[in-house]
Amino acid sequence: MDKNMKILVVDDFSTMRRIIKNLLRDLGFTNIQEADDGNTALPMLQQGDFDFVVTDWNMPGMQGIDLLKEIRKDDNLAHLPVLMVTAEAKREQIIQAAQAGVNGYIVKPFTAATLKEKLDKIFERIS
Amino acid sequence: MSEQAHNISLEQARELVALLEAGNQKKANEKLDEVYNRRNDKLFTSVGQLTRDLHEALQDFQLDPRILQLTEDELPDAQNRLQYVIQKTEDAANRTMDAVEACLPLSDDMHQKIDRIMPQWQQLMDNNIELSEFKSLCHGVDDVLKTCGNNMPQIHSLMTEVLMAQDYQDITGQVIRRVIQLVEDVEKNLIELLKLFGDEAQEAAKGQPKEVNKDQAEGPIIDADKRDDVVSGQDDVDDLLSSLGF
Repeated sequence: MDKNMKILVVDDFSTMRRIIKNLLRDLGFTNIQEADDGNTALPMLQQGDFDFVVTDWNMPGMQGIDLLKEIRKDDNLAHLPVLMVTAEAKREQIIQAAQAGVNGYIVKPFTAATLKEKLDKIFERIS
Repeated sequence: MSEQAHNISLEQARELVALLEAGNQKKANEKLDEVYNRRNDKLFTSVGQLTRDLHEALQDFQLDPRILQLTEDELPDAQNRLQYVIQKTEDAANRTMDAVEACLPLSDDMHQKIDRIMPQWQQLMDNNIELSEFKSLCHGVDDVLKTCGNNMPQIHSLMTEVLMAQDYQDITGQVIRRVIQLVEDVEKNLIELLKLFGDEAQEAAKGQPKEVNKDQAEGPIIDADKRDDVVSGQDDVDDLLSSLGF
């Protein structure tokens, strides 16, 4: 796993972005940028050479699930691995995210170990 | 009282004319007053009835004079209070993370310095150390002790900062409790209002199915143990996804 990969963390709460950034930094990732919803994230993804997206679901503006769908629709972004980290815990939603092509799904509250495990799994499958 | 009783009758008019023709002004005046008062009685009764109706209608609509207070002051106030809760919890989270982020390099620093002297220290413990190595070990130990001596009080005060940042729980708890009380008051008044409009409205409201959006965002589930459409944790998510071929 390339520790220099460029990661976008999308969450409307700055504290949650900060927590995820800290956990990622602990895992050795330092090239991290932030966005507060899908509408901010999508242009950043289209312009920047991101390697990985961690996104919340429930955000004002564009929600995480719609961001995921937009990513999968865009030829340049479709390959991007997307990890959802969200409080949304309904089975229907998890199924919906899977069908939309999510690479991993973590429910909040979550632990550092869970984040590491899902990251490992995602990049193991990709490589 | 019939309309007839309040309109001046032909008979009364004739009596009045007769009295006036007879030059009996006093009696005529009394007769006129009698007719006039009867009309007035009706007016007073009607105004009285209207006043009572109006009063009761106002009473019914107000039910609780708190309704006005609720809508004018307390609901906007509740919004402010909840905003305050968001602000307080955010501040506390940032304060905590500031302290933790300041702690981590201090503990990493000590960890690295200990790691650096560990091989020579092990040699010393095994009684297998050269004098030059021993000197270098002494400098290393000196460095560790000085670093720890410096970092520990800093870590202590940062930990105290983390501790103090948790005071948001008390403050936000009190605010939220007041908002819950307000929501209960509003609910009570809405129920009273519903009663006023009779059982029909109540039944109609009951009959409305609660809106369910299976795949819409709902935020944190606060009653997961009472629901069967939500997962109970990460293990459940993993099971569900692997059942889908993930």
